[in-house]
Amino acid sequence: MSQYVLELKGITKTFPGVKALNNVHFQLGPGEIHALMGENGAGKSTFIKVITGVHAPDEGEIFLNGQKVEFKNPKDAQKMGIAAIYQHVTCYPDLSVTENIFMGHEKIQKGTKRILWKEMHAEAKELLDQLGANFDPKTLMGALSVAQQQIVEIAKALSTNAKIIIMDEPTAALTKRESEELYRITEQLRDRGASIIFISHRFEDMYRLASRVTVFRDAKYIGSWGVREISNEDLIVAMVGREITQLFPKKPARVGEELLRVDKLGKTGYFEDISFSLRKGEILGLTGLVGAGRTEVCQSIFGILPHDKGSVYLEGKEIKVKGPLEAMELGIGYLPEDRQKQGLVLEWGIGKNITLPAIGKYSKKGWLNEKEEAEVAKSLSEKVNVKANSIFDLASSLSGGNQQKVVVAKLLTADLKVIILDEPTKGVDVGAKSAIHEIMSDLACQGYGVIMVSSEMPEVLGMCDRIAVMREGRITAILNRDEATQETILEAAMASKAEAAAV
Amino acid sequence: MNARNIVAKKEFNWKSFFLQWEWLLVCIFILINVINTSLSPYYLDPKRLLDATMTFLDKAFIVFPMVFILILGDIDISVSSTVALSAVVMAVSYNSGVPMEIAMVICLLVGTICGLINGLLIVKFKELSAVIVTLSTMIIYRGIAYIILEDQASGKFPAWYKFLGWGYVGGVPFILIAFAIFAAIFGLLLHKTTFGRRAYAMGNNITASRFSGIQVDKIKVIIFTLAGTMSAVTALFLTSRMGSTRPNVASGYELDVIAMAVLGGISTSGGKGRMLGAIISVFLIGLLRYGLGLKNIPAQVLLIIIGLLLIFAVMIPNLKFNIGKTRKAQ
Amino acid sequence: MAEVTVGKSSKGLNIVKFRELGLLGFILLISIAVQMRNQSFLTLENIDDMITNTAILSVLAIGMMLVIVTRGIDLSLGSTLALAGMTTALTVKSNPGMNPLAAILLGTVVGIVCGAIIGLIIAKTNVPPIIATLGMMNVFRGLTFMISGGKWVSAHQMPTSFKAIATGSVLGINTLIFIAIIIYIVAYYFINHTRTGRQIYAVGSNPDSAKISGINNEKILFLVYTIMGALTGLAGVLWVSKFASAQGDTAMGYEINVIAACVLGGVNIAGGSGKISGIILGSLLLGILNNALPLINVSPFWQNAIQGCVILVAVIVNALVKRSVDRNNLMRRKI
Repeated sequence: MSQYVLELKGITKTFPGVKALNNVHFQLGPGEIHALMGENGAGKSTFIKVITGVHAPDEGEIFLNGQKVEFKNPKDAQKMGIAAIYQHVTCYPDLSVTENIFMGHEKIQKGTKRILWKEMHAEAKELLDQLGANFDPKTLMGALSVAQQQIVEIAKALSTNAKIIIMDEPTAALTKRESEELYRITEQLRDRGASIIFISHRFEDMYRLASRVTVFRDAKYIGSWGVREISNEDLIVAMVGREITQLFPKKPARVGEELLRVDKLGKTGYFEDISFSLRKGEILGLTGLVGAGRTEVCQSIFGILPHDKGSVYLEGKEIKVKGPLEAMELGIGYLPEDRQKQGLVLEWGIGKNITLPAIGKYSKKGWLNEKEEAEVAKSLSEKVNVKANSIFDLASSLSGGNQQKVVVAKLLTADLKVIILDEPTKGVDVGAKSAIHEIMSDLACQGYGVIMVSSEMPEVLGMCDRIAVMREGRITAILNRDEATQETILEAAMASKAEAAAV
Repeated sequence: MNARNIVAKKEFNWKSFFLQWEWLLVCIFILINVINTSLSPYYLDPKRLLDATMTFLDKAFIVFPMVFILILGDIDISVSSTVALSAVVMAVSYNSGVPMEIAMVICLLVGTICGLINGLLIVKFKELSAVIVTLSTMIIYRGIAYIILEDQASGKFPAWYKFLGWGYVGGVPFILIAFAIFAAIFGLLLHKTTFGRRAYAMGNNITASRFSGIQVDKIKVIIFTLAGTMSAVTALFLTSRMGSTRPNVASGYELDVIAMAVLGGISTSGGKGRMLGAIISVFLIGLLRYGLGLKNIPAQVLLIIIGLLLIFAVMIPNLKFNIGKTRKAQ
Repeated sequence: MAEVTVGKSSKGLNIVKFRELGLLGFILLISIAVQMRNQSFLTLENIDDMITNTAILSVLAIGMMLVIVTRGIDLSLGSTLALAGMTTALTVKSNPGMNPLAAILLGTVVGIVCGAIIGLIIAKTNVPPIIATLGMMNVFRGLTFMISGGKWVSAHQMPTSFKAIATGSVLGINTLIFIAIIIYIVAYYFINHTRTGRQIYAVGSNPDSAKISGINNEKILFLVYTIMGALTGLAGVLWVSKFASAQGDTAMGYEINVIAACVLGGVNIAGGSGKISGIILGSLLLGILNNALPLINVSPFWQNAIQGCVILVAVIVNALVKRSVDRNNLMRRKI
């Protein structure tokens, strides 16, 4: 009998063009919560899919309680007691909670094969009660909140009597209170004898829950440590591959007159009473938890999500933006949060991507001028230092960081005054990250007003002149650079409603 | 950081040049001509061949906007009903005393309005897919044609109107010349203008297009409206060739038109394909039909062949043959 | 996290109920209006006639609903129906002594084969359903013309026993209605109480998670189109028996009516949801429209346009109701 409930040795998985996992190892002890950490693209997601039988590894072996196993499909893994709770909740929105819990292992009557609805509803109710949730299991999944859906996913894992539970970034979209509840449930699962792999990039999660931590980087196994054996700094080095002391090269910029003013902006159901101003050469941080309404505020200023209350002034004049085109013509640019879905045409070359927003500018009466376009694309992609050979290289062939540089280059085609960057360094490697920070700093020096949405505390503290903190659709604090600390920001981001009203 | 040099010139690559979908079409095209020639000694007569184009080019006018619609990733199955409605309205208004020239303008207007309605419905009700919207308007447009004309035929057009479908300019059928002109216009529009570039962008990634400041709704409405207008152009030529019109004309045209576009390498999932391929496949299907006709092979066989061609044209590139990879817009 | 908004979920249930009650109300309204114009509408005889006419449509709507639930669509239905009907008609024409049950079986098998071919194409290749069924629509229609040589099989060429399928009765109920009821009971059980039935909804609701749940998506797609084919084949036999004629262009464009019945019945064209009770009401509404319009002297030439408008209005109303529910949900979000 092995001392590990789950052990993976030398796992390699290659997709066309990408080595997603390169000879990685992993050991999970009985009754432990094991944190798996690494930057985006480190191979964590593929690794989970190997454990759950979604992908078969090209090389390597999997051992369950010392027995070598091979999963042909997800069902095999499920039968062996492995369950996963995925990052993007993978539910069936049109089906009831009960069905979501029991999909794939419904209770059926022997012989007639009839589904035993009554028994299933009752057991679902019981499972939900155990997890401290009291919604009706007959509710449609699509009507639940993300946190509630996650409880259902956990109930699903419980219903399969899973001995190994994998949680893929479950806290990413949760408020502090919801996270606390999740911690409690996770510990409860452990105390019942389940072993848990907890994937997260929040250090907080790891320190709160895990006893061991394993780090992947660039599809490779870096190492495993006891959580108390490794220092924060060493862990960061393990994750990013080098020290990050010089990560925030903010140059001092001359802050000029007011550029943009937002007055009591509101959009029913998304945000309320948003007021702030932005000056020339200033970098304004907009932070808070995911789902606090930061992206919505930015998209409203950019004309994607029209607001229904309040007003926006650009250089003192009130503007009414009907769509992105008007926003860009007025001088407001927006770098979207999801570069692959919102920023790029992945199947196009980087050149055509860069010139897309300004295609009208490089044309004569609607006729394309491909020569001028190519020159502009070349000079801009060199300016942001995209690592590519030609402007015809497909955007999909670039790394995350270089893709992001292309999206930044798209912004530079327009004559902008205000640049809004939504999570500009999310899922980007360290090199590209500092390059993007440098570009941002340069932009501020050139007199642009920059708004940066970010969840990453060091980035916000390092880059921003002022920081607006949002919580549940409202701004709870606007802090100057000298008064902002990790604590003051966190307090504003997580303060209760009553306190926020007092701010 | 050292700035690197990024190449802005496209290198010519023989391999990818010959791995284009259009070459496969050309091969099939030649094959069909060889078979037709060996089956019938009359086939290769230039005069007859030119005349043959008159028999199938009427519906080809709808192929151009359909290429745009498929590139957007949408579909329009109401085009055949639009043809019927605009033809019926034209015939009825002419027979109630409107001069033919005006009746033709009315025909174009009716088609344009039909297309505009499709476009507006699709844009205003994004929850409904283009399939369901054009499916309903397909029933409605043809339904209106039936209300107007019931089961009657309407015709007796002036003699000069016959020229559209039957006339020649310098020995070349007028319809072929019209087709060539529209082919040039739509080809340039797709490949050489900002409009075409934006349409490709929308078909590949509509969200990114919106964030890039493209007025996606406006472009979609224009393209669906164009489909209506070109359906009316088809109505003009079709009615001229037939001499009269009925509410049930052009039924099944949407299938032929979609088949031609898809066979021409236009992906149904949007964003890929070129006008040239669609134009080649118009002649490919047309001449296939003509050749079968010469051998007295029944039209039903052609139905079956087109149906299978449509499926294979979508299936083959998806089977991940090498050739599929080159079916990208440049 | 444990905090729960129960209101939200009951709201979700309400839309479904609202839609069905709305549909029911609409049906009643039409019935009353028509009855006021023409007293012969709500007679037993006419109602029986109406339900008999709706039986075939409602059977087909089950198959179409399952197809749409998996995010597909079937445009080949009319052609498959014609091919199955024609094959059966030709067979009974040359074997007048054939048992009617054997005839029904034959037509169903033809339908199953047609459906299985479509199912294979859709499940095994990346050809989207609309293209696959559009293509096979042509193929099956062409085959129908070819096997019949372009000729009709008319009433006097069919044996009486075959024509009696549609006119006869079982347990005092017209055979068509009887068959429809049986199929509805089976379908209800299959959809709501068997694993495979629920998997169809899972695949339509979220194909990616279905794969992770260990559901064989390809098998489900194949099954759904095969069921559609089987029901269409059966309907083909009943159709030919009822109208006592088989033609090359039988049921041309009929798929539109069936899709309409589903859409009216609240089947979500984007996949994942659709209820048996909904499509019964949807089929019934179309049946009533078809039956009532002639009774109140609406010219048959108006029927197409009216039907089209009803479909369009129904989908638009659905969309608007959903929007207002979403907006309400937003308003209730506390900020």
